[in-house]
Amino acid sequence: MSTKTQLAVIGGGPGGYVAAFVAADRGMQVTLIDRNANPGGVCLHIGCIPSKALLHVAKLIRETREAEHWGVTFGKPKIDLDKLREYKDSVVNKLTGGTAQLSKMRKINYLRGTAAFVNSSTVKVDLVEGGTEEINFEHAILATGSEPARIPGLPYESGKVWDSTGALALETIPEKLLVIGGGYIGLELGSVYSALGSKVSVVEMMPGILPGADRDMVRVLQKSLENSFEKILVSTKVISVTESGKKLKVKFEGEGISDNEQEFDRVLVSVGRKPVTKGLGLENTKVVVNEKGFVSVDDKCQTDDQSIYAIGDIVGGAMLAHKASAEGKVAVEAIAGHKVAFEPNAIPAVVFTDPELAWTGLSETEAKEKGINVEVTRFPWTAGSRAVTIDRTDGLTKLIVDPETNRVLGMGVVGAGAGELIAEGTLAVEMAALAEDVAKTIHPHPTLSETVMESAELALGSSPHLFRPKRK
Amino acid sequence: MANEFKLPELGENITTADIVKVLIKPGDKVEIDQAVVEIETDKANVEVPSEISGTVKEVMVKEGSKANVGDVIFTLEQDISDEKKPAEKKEPEAELKEPEKKTEKVEKVVKTEPVKPSAKESITTSTYEFKLPELGENITTAQITKVLVKKGEKVKKDDVLIEIETDKATVEVPSEVDGTVKEVKIKDGDTANVGEVIIIFDAPGIVIPEPKKEAPTQPKQQISEQARKELARTLKENEGTSEKKRISRADLSGKTAPAAPSVRRFAREIGIDIHQVSGTGPGGRISVDDVKAFSKNLNQKISQAASAGVPIGINKESLPDFSKYGEVEIKQMTNIRRKTAEHLSYAWSTIPHVTQFDKADITELEKLRKQYSKQVEAAGGKLTVTAILLKILASALKVFPQFNSSIDMDKKEIIYKKYYNIGIAVDTDRGLLVPVVRDVDKKNIIQLSVELSEISVKARDKKLTIEDMQGGNFSISNLGGIGGTYFTPIVNSPEVAILGVSRGSYEQVYKDGQFIPRMILPLSLSYDHRIIDGADAARFIRWVCKALENPFLLSLEG
Repeated sequence: MSTKTQLAVIGGGPGGYVAAFVAADRGMQVTLIDRNANPGGVCLHIGCIPSKALLHVAKLIRETREAEHWGVTFGKPKIDLDKLREYKDSVVNKLTGGTAQLSKMRKINYLRGTAAFVNSSTVKVDLVEGGTEEINFEHAILATGSEPARIPGLPYESGKVWDSTGALALETIPEKLLVIGGGYIGLELGSVYSALGSKVSVVEMMPGILPGADRDMVRVLQKSLENSFEKILVSTKVISVTESGKKLKVKFEGEGISDNEQEFDRVLVSVGRKPVTKGLGLENTKVVVNEKGFVSVDDKCQTDDQSIYAIGDIVGGAMLAHKASAEGKVAVEAIAGHKVAFEPNAIPAVVFTDPELAWTGLSETEAKEKGINVEVTRFPWTAGSRAVTIDRTDGLTKLIVDPETNRVLGMGVVGAGAGELIAEGTLAVEMAALAEDVAKTIHPHPTLSETVMESAELALGSSPHLFRPKRK
Repeated sequence: MANEFKLPELGENITTADIVKVLIKPGDKVEIDQAVVEIETDKANVEVPSEISGTVKEVMVKEGSKANVGDVIFTLEQDISDEKKPAEKKEPEAELKEPEKKTEKVEKVVKTEPVKPSAKESITTSTYEFKLPELGENITTAQITKVLVKKGEKVKKDDVLIEIETDKATVEVPSEVDGTVKEVKIKDGDTANVGEVIIIFDAPGIVIPEPKKEAPTQPKQQISEQARKELARTLKENEGTSEKKRISRADLSGKTAPAAPSVRRFAREIGIDIHQVSGTGPGGRISVDDVKAFSKNLNQKISQAASAGVPIGINKESLPDFSKYGEVEIKQMTNIRRKTAEHLSYAWSTIPHVTQFDKADITELEKLRKQYSKQVEAAGGKLTVTAILLKILASALKVFPQFNSSIDMDKKEIIYKKYYNIGIAVDTDRGLLVPVVRDVDKKNIIQLSVELSEISVKARDKKLTIEDMQGGNFSISNLGGIGGTYFTPIVNSPEVAILGVSRGSYEQVYKDGQFIPRMILPLSLSYDHRIIDGADAARFIRWVCKALENPFLLSLEG
């Protein structure tokens, strides 16, 4: 069977489904292909969404413990893992059910299967229900995303070595969990299991967790994680993981390791993600995949094949859902014939640990690497009234400002709710706001958002709630 | 004493030059004023004389490259030899140099050894240590996912040896040499560091690709090549450019134009590069009004240019990918070619051209020409139609002064010149050059013939200076030597007319009641219709024809 479509979107994640939806709203006839029953991709099914549902629970558990300081004592939490899993699944189902409905209402032809290009205008879809279908398209958007990178040679077959998907399955609460990789996925899932009662250790090859993020912010998070985690091993490598009875024996190598061999019940591998480009039949098109495995695109997300666009994790850059969605919108507008380009000044990144850590635009680390002269202001949350009222002074808001014009180039926040606060910084960067604009914008009191205003005031010279001799 | 020589100032507005020929090499002795490089600027080929003397240590430019004014062309050895050795001992010195060079070569060979340390055994049969190549920025280690060769196995260059996984991607690493695997130092699942020896080959007579310098880049290219092969990738250039684009994307959070997304979008839609707009808002923030003002300003400039004749409303058409249809070779334009292209496009698009054709009967003139050719030859020239035409045109320009003018559209003025310089288009192996013969009216035909010969020799020997090609009022393009009848030459702006001369041939002419064979010379006069009317042009070319037919006219009217 062969069908004609104006736009074929391959991959139904937050890049693909958003592209499909906006294209349909523009009046294009759209076919969306994904192997899941509903659109949503990794993000909704086995990524952002379920992990955040679990992190919400983890935060609550942690807060019940903190309440002791305030004179409120709860008993030790009893965890019904089946019910928790059910809750997580219900969250996923609610949202993916929603996208399915939105897709249907837009009359998008949703095909459940896997697609491979036959040529620059045709994909062949192996349908999950059986059989194949050929789709003849005018344009295609490639949005197949990424998958967890694997460390070869680990005993995956034992079932005791998880990737993020395995960890999100909530099969068990291991007594001892080792997280390999101190990136955001490992820290987030480690936080979940730590709250649920696991003794969590994190091992990172680089000299610090969250490589790339500003160290002053990471320090705040690390302090908190050191309390909840068993151990954070940096500059340390895992040499081997072997199954030994019900446990996994892990050998380490690195500085400051006293115990070279330790036993764990589960090992979570979170060493990054790699783009999914294999099996797509790209060799039948003019699409170019670079040596890192990413699809090459220009600023309007067009590949070297005129009719094919690519967005999201497979094109590299920040492998984040919201970046994929933004690219999806650009690709659709480009296909509709508009002069567009994907050229944001800021892509926010959020680590949903407790405290959360977020940054947007230019970071201090990046400014240093590129030799960009910046002024950095830091407002510690100990000086923020709202932070004190919620007993969460473990936070820091910083602004990266152009010393010449006082323009806000970037912002970083670590602290409770940082993920929400970072939106203001992103807007400031995109609007080319000056520190003065942010400082003179009235922020509600008492809120954590005041810390953004106060850090902007610092850039102007002084802030009311932080006395500090003026520095240049 | 200066021991480096920089490209000197070459003339007004000349900042770069093509290096056409390098006349020195390391070890050469250079004297002051000795030509060291030959360069080509927009206008001319020039030999650049050295301003320093001594022994050349290093030549920093190569033939075919470009150099900016002020760039170092070559450096000198600290010249002690000058004092040590008297000048007449030049030859022994040269002999001395030979062995010096040799030892240098030997050194190079030695340098490559560490790359294959076990090559001590012999040169023809050696072992080759294959190291984990550079994999990309910030990647220092890689997981060996699969080892695809085993001991004793024969491999060819480019065969995949191992499959590795970095935190970014899985990559197949190809062999750099032909050989037999002697030892595999890694196994599946190992982690290896970049630069670590992972496989040792018995590689008879291998040639190590390049010494150290190249090593990091070469494996990189090979990996990408491998990736391309694997994925049936297209052109390498494509990958290069896409990679660039990708880099720029990763770069996006640096300092960018201070404009809101809506403003950036507006600029993009009306085709304005936001980075060129200067903002009037606080901190230089760019508003929609700033973009509009910039665009308006730009439009004004364009329309000003249009009143000067630059075509507007013509969209640039992009070139197709010719390599799709067959083999192509891409070369940089030389400065002369680029300048010619720019200049002629300008002339063609700003001057409303009309070409008037006419025929001159030169039967009698040819007789005279042959009669006096010996005399001219004795003077060192060649009596050609062009030489005679020079004289005739000088007179014609006096009779028709508007042909000896230029127009200034900005000031709405006509500039009449009281001197008579005429350019001659010369075909050289590097392209079209138009040297100018000065004060043609003050010279006789013998003098003009001599000068013409000199000038063409100079043009062909690349000896013309920029001054030689400036200050013309009118041009002659003679294609008669090649053949053809009429053509429509392009006026050499800011001149207002040009005479095209084709090949003279015998034609039947009806005269005195009968057809007789006459030598007829086809002439084409292209002129700027803004200043020259058609009737004047017809009169001008007729006058020229008459003067050719009856040289007495020169003395009578000219």
